Amino acid sequence: MKYLTKNILFMSFIFMFTNTVLADLNVLNLSYRTGPFAATGIPLMDGMLDYATLLNERDGGLGGEHFNMIECETGYSTAKGIECYSKLKSDNILTVHPWSTGINLQLIPKAGVDRIPILSISYGLSAAAVGETFPWVFPFPLTYWDGASIMLKYIGGYDLSGLKGKKIVLLHLDHPYGKEPIPLFKELSGKYGYKFISIPVGLKEMQNQSAQWLQIRREKPDYVLMWGWGAMNAGAINEAVKTRFNMERFIGIWWSGHDDDLMVAGKKSKGYKALSWNIPGNYPVIDDIKKHVINKGLSKVKNNDSIYRNFYTRGVLMTMLQAEAIRTAQKHFNTSKVNADQVRWGLENLNITQARLDELGMKGMTNPIKTSCSDHSGHHSALVLQWDGEKFSPITDFISPMKNIVRPMLEKAADKYAKSNAPWPGRDNIPCN
Amino acid sequence: MIYREAGQFKISYGADNAFLPVLQDKFLLLIILTLFWIVFPVFASDFAFQAILLPFLIYSLAAIGLNILTGYAGQLSLGTGGFMGVGAYACYKIITLFPEINIVIAILISGIFSSVVGVLFGLPSLKIKGFYLAISTLAAQFFLVWFFEKVAWLYNYNTSGAIEVPTLYISGITVTGPSAESLVKYYVVLSVISLLTILVINIVRGKMGRQWQAIRDNDIAAEIIGIRLMFSKITAFAVSSYVVGIAGALLVFFWKGAAEANLFEIRLSFEILFMVIIGGLGSILGAYLGALFIVVLPVLINVVPHFLGLSIASATVEHVNLIIIGSLIIAILVIEPHGLSRLWLITREKLRLWPFPY
Repeated sequence: MKYLTKNILFMSFIFMFTNTVLADLNVLNLSYRTGPFAATGIPLMDGMLDYATLLNERDGGLGGEHFNMIECETGYSTAKGIECYSKLKSDNILTVHPWSTGINLQLIPKAGVDRIPILSISYGLSAAAVGETFPWVFPFPLTYWDGASIMLKYIGGYDLSGLKGKKIVLLHLDHPYGKEPIPLFKELSGKYGYKFISIPVGLKEMQNQSAQWLQIRREKPDYVLMWGWGAMNAGAINEAVKTRFNMERFIGIWWSGHDDDLMVAGKKSKGYKALSWNIPGNYPVIDDIKKHVINKGLSKVKNNDSIYRNFYTRGVLMTMLQAEAIRTAQKHFNTSKVNADQVRWGLENLNITQARLDELGMKGMTNPIKTSCSDHSGHHSALVLQWDGEKFSPITDFISPMKNIVRPMLEKAADKYAKSNAPWPGRDNIPCN
Repeated sequence: MIYREAGQFKISYGADNAFLPVLQDKFLLLIILTLFWIVFPVFASDFAFQAILLPFLIYSLAAIGLNILTGYAGQLSLGTGGFMGVGAYACYKIITLFPEINIVIAILISGIFSSVVGVLFGLPSLKIKGFYLAISTLAAQFFLVWFFEKVAWLYNYNTSGAIEVPTLYISGITVTGPSAESLVKYYVVLSVISLLTILVINIVRGKMGRQWQAIRDNDIAAEIIGIRLMFSKITAFAVSSYVVGIAGALLVFFWKGAAEANLFEIRLSFEILFMVIIGGLGSILGAYLGALFIVVLPVLINVVPHFLGLSIASATVEHVNLIIIGSLIIAILVIEPHGLSRLWLITREKLRLWPFPY
């Protein structure tokens, strides 16, 4: 009997939670403020949340509707991410930010079934740029393969002739995220005559990379490119400083450009470079955030200096892209209470001009961004930031990726994905307008 | 009171040796089966299937597997995660190489691969025992995860390095893949697990199970009375890895949908070990109770603030969850080191003698 009543209580506990249909514009952010990747996650999540709060406080929401960025803690764990997604997807969610390639890979097949667009801004599966195959996934403004081609362009000059005979090491997290650019590097190594060596860092060895850097010392590469995240960034930079690697030849992807990671080594890591599609610094929109959000105590930011840094400003931009997509959908469908299908259209027909960026107080923060039905990434440009001992500053102009090389490769990869996941619905009769 | 056995008598040896001789136990089992086969599927939401029921069933199968090895045969093993991975990758390769094969058959076959690997890494048990055996199975764990990463053939050279589950059908109904209904997946998993549980219960109540328990209690005495140590230990590893491998295949195909190699890392091994220890070594019920505690309880704790209408930040709930689970583990092991199944048995004994003290 006791067992029975216990079981009934247990059952009712599970099944009786009310599914509150929130009338706001809800966006699900599978964030992490705990775990080994919290160091890099927190400033981005802060930036995202604060811009959302700013829209509500300063502008009264998006088109009059309260913009709700729901954070669900995953700790970068795929299982937790799926749990969060399953729990909250019925709460009228407009988009989901997976924030982990592992979670992203699991959600991509579900996106078309649940009809919730995945916004994996400058991360996730590169092949998702092909809108014909992945109508519900958006990796704009540029994918990892675009970023890889930009790095090669920076190293080898615009015609890539400088790459011949060079030795390039890719130090990457041994995780789908880190392995993403390898196919591009391998394919182009034959074409442009450089030697490519891939050195993985296991999730358990992020803070102790002495073996990897010993290998780098032996190989004596011309350049070390890094695809790191979380504790791996700081570990790699410290180890590089320890082994006296020439920091000028150390270039990271845009997720390896976190100020806090470099401040640990400080002046010694001077010369380290990182790609970025946004320029950190002070902008009118950051001032607004300070006025309306931070000074009112509505922010989770602990260190007020971080709001001018790379990751925080990028988080602000990411929510801006999300908000603009919703606004585009609101304007086109003539309603402020848009649903997920309409926001998907908005994401696919995004056109953020320079004038609009100036309007938003983000002049100079990033380049204009445009997406289309077949191209969900837009192949936009990124520039190279350099650490001068105290902060990151741009040392180049915006460099455009090698679209004519990357796009065919992306299409091939998308085809392969669709074949191995047959039957793949593809666009499934969603029109392209 | 409830367990008054007055009036229940057996008139054949067969009935006397039954699995659940007491009528009230049979009734309880019937209630639990009704709950799992009829009540839950009717009332559960998609979230309940995805976050509570499916992981509970799959992890409890893995815990049963480890319980055979550690609880019944006394061979401490930390390689559970790796063996689950072998089952998962084997199933993936079978499905991709032979697309027309029935998924359930494929899963049952993939257990064989995991069994072979388990036996291979269990061979050191013939010479070493206790913590030293744990180290050698730890080596298996690390080697297997490395192997999954390195051998690209295993994940069909996917760029993401992860295995993705294709959409498969049984007589026209979608059973795996993103478009499969949670209800269908639940029933397939429940059927496989019921079958394996019945199988395992019969094995551990039979000659092999008794040989394993003899080895666990005192292996030198067991050898003296004529039990073949090598054979028993190898079969323990074989059966345990078979069950664990099937759990791994179910984990990827019917719950996760995609898996990367680091899903099967040491953390998973420890999780299963904790389930077995907290649930109770050497008991099938213990495997289920341990899985309930480790898998279901954190999810329920996460849901409590939402249920009560409190708005607490998600990260805080996560932190508090870890504190609660950690302290509960300590409390349970202090109160009853033999686990939750022993707590249940004591409760049952008390009920049998109520109102007299036990």
